Amino acid sequence: MSGKATFIVIIGFTILFMVAIRNFGNISGEGVSNMVGYYSEMIAHNIAVSGANLAANQIFVDPTWQDGYSNESFSGGTVNVSVNIIDAYKNIRQITSTGSYHGMVSVVQVTLSPSKFSKFAYYSVSEGSSIWWMAKDTVWGPFHTQDNLRVSKHPTFYGKASSLKSIIYQTNKTTDKPNFLGGYESGVNVPLPTDAVDKMETPAVDNGHSFTGHDTVYICFARDSIKYKYSYSAPYTTEYLPDFAPNGIIFAKNSVLRLQGTVKGQYTVACNSTTSSTGKGSIWLDDNIVYDKDPRQYPTSTDMLGICAENYVWITNNTPNRTNINIQASIYSEKFGFGAQDYSSGAPRGTINLFGGIIHKTRAAVGQFSGTTVTHGYSKSYRYDERFMLASPPYFPGTGGFEIVSWLE
Amino acid sequence: MGFTTLLDILGSVIIGGVLMTIAYRFSDTITEKTYNHSGELIIQQNLSTVAQSIEYDFRKIGYCKNWNLLPDPTKAIISADTSSIRFYTDIDNDGDVDSVRYYLGPTSELTSSANPRDRMLYRVLNNEEPKSANLGVTQFYLVYFDALGDTIQPPVGLNGGIVSIEINLTVENTDAYDQIYSKAFWRQIRMVSRNLKNR
Repeated sequence: MSGKATFIVIIGFTILFMVAIRNFGNISGEGVSNMVGYYSEMIAHNIAVSGANLAANQIFVDPTWQDGYSNESFSGGTVNVSVNIIDAYKNIRQITSTGSYHGMVSVVQVTLSPSKFSKFAYYSVSEGSSIWWMAKDTVWGPFHTQDNLRVSKHPTFYGKASSLKSIIYQTNKTTDKPNFLGGYESGVNVPLPTDAVDKMETPAVDNGHSFTGHDTVYICFARDSIKYKYSYSAPYTTEYLPDFAPNGIIFAKNSVLRLQGTVKGQYTVACNSTTSSTGKGSIWLDDNIVYDKDPRQYPTSTDMLGICAENYVWITNNTPNRTNINIQASIYSEKFGFGAQDYSSGAPRGTINLFGGIIHKTRAAVGQFSGTTVTHGYSKSYRYDERFMLASPPYFPGTGGFEIVSWLE
Repeated sequence: MGFTTLLDILGSVIIGGVLMTIAYRFSDTITEKTYNHSGELIIQQNLSTVAQSIEYDFRKIGYCKNWNLLPDPTKAIISADTSSIRFYTDIDNDGDVDSVRYYLGPTSELTSSANPRDRMLYRVLNNEEPKSANLGVTQFYLVYFDALGDTIQPPVGLNGGIVSIEINLTVENTDAYDQIYSKAFWRQIRMVSRNLKNR
């Protein structure tokens, strides 16, 4: 009798232990399964992100690359990448990267758009060895230099800043660290082309307007009309602007272009030189060049101007410009810079009120200072036209590459 | 009834008592262990759920299918503090810009749970009512970094230069055996939404 009871007790406890252990085993199993699930999902996601990065890099190296990757082994899983043109007219491309790992699948979609120089609030190839971005300097909008970025006492960059070379602090990081409110990347190579202005002649001849055989071309935008002449004392010829340059590009070949007026619509004026002379291929701003509807007052304004010179863009030292100058445009100077004529002499000429952006090879001076006081030339008030983040003046030079405009993961 | 019988009865009572005690102790231990193990599993699952939800949303900061609507993604973070953040994104990928806000509620609003430290982690989409579930979150702590990797002191407003975020999340049991709460911790050292680096 006692043997049977003992047996029953032992069996009972054994069953209880088995149930308990099985229960603990299930809990542990679920815990591990939960962890493994999260881990697998994370790895699948990392594989997809890596595939997208690899493809984006390929496109940055070779903008025509569309091969993608098919079932490539990666980090214990597989990655598939396809590149599709989702808007042929605007050349918008989309990378779709799919990462798979132990049954988990993750997809990353990256959209790329051709990049234009007009998106920059400020771009330079050379910053000069003694020019520093100072405490009072504020750059609104994207900034890039192919040079070192020299900073002193916390300048502020509101848009994304990038440089090919590194940051140089005048004293040290603590004293000079810039405020990068839109982020910063170094090692970014965006070279300035050497023939972008020359190439603008073709669309100007096709369906814009090309001036040829004139030493100097004087252009005055007058809203719907354009006035032009070939010498200072000559009378202007006036034409209806949409018919004069239907595609929006006005080009002066091997000429000096003198510019002013009020722009209605989207236009780019360009000027090149067919010789090594820097006299030709420069644009002189003889007076204000502004929009018919200032986008700051009229947010729906579509007025937009590009000023593209192979050589310099100068602010003329003349009577109208001796009491401020208003410039509303994206300025592009391919081989030199944007500066003021006679910036180091004469009385102060007020302020350059620039609404747009400056893309130039080298920084050029617009004035001289003693402490914080302007002694010659201009003081500066530059603001970025944020519409250039999305749109650009017609045929404005492109960087030749793409930029990521959206990243979905 | 002889002496032997009395001894048998006494022995049976003693042995039965020992067995009962063992069974009781066994039951108590099993209950405790089951409670704790299940609790740990639940907090791990809760942690995983919250972490995945946060990762899903935070990776989309500054994203919009119609990218023209968010031309400058660096302005996507509207406000950020140690335990709250509000940002623009296109959360349902429909081409419209949404605002998403995460914030941690006070401990006082969860009086019904035994854990005195748990809080509601709220997610607010656009102007909808805040949504949350008590998943035992006791810590949701955010640290922000600028483009050079230095810490930004919160609170941070629009265009505050945030480039990456450290996310700290702790989940505990909402109830526990003998008030001994299990805890699970998750940290994303550098959460970077790629869209903040666009353009």
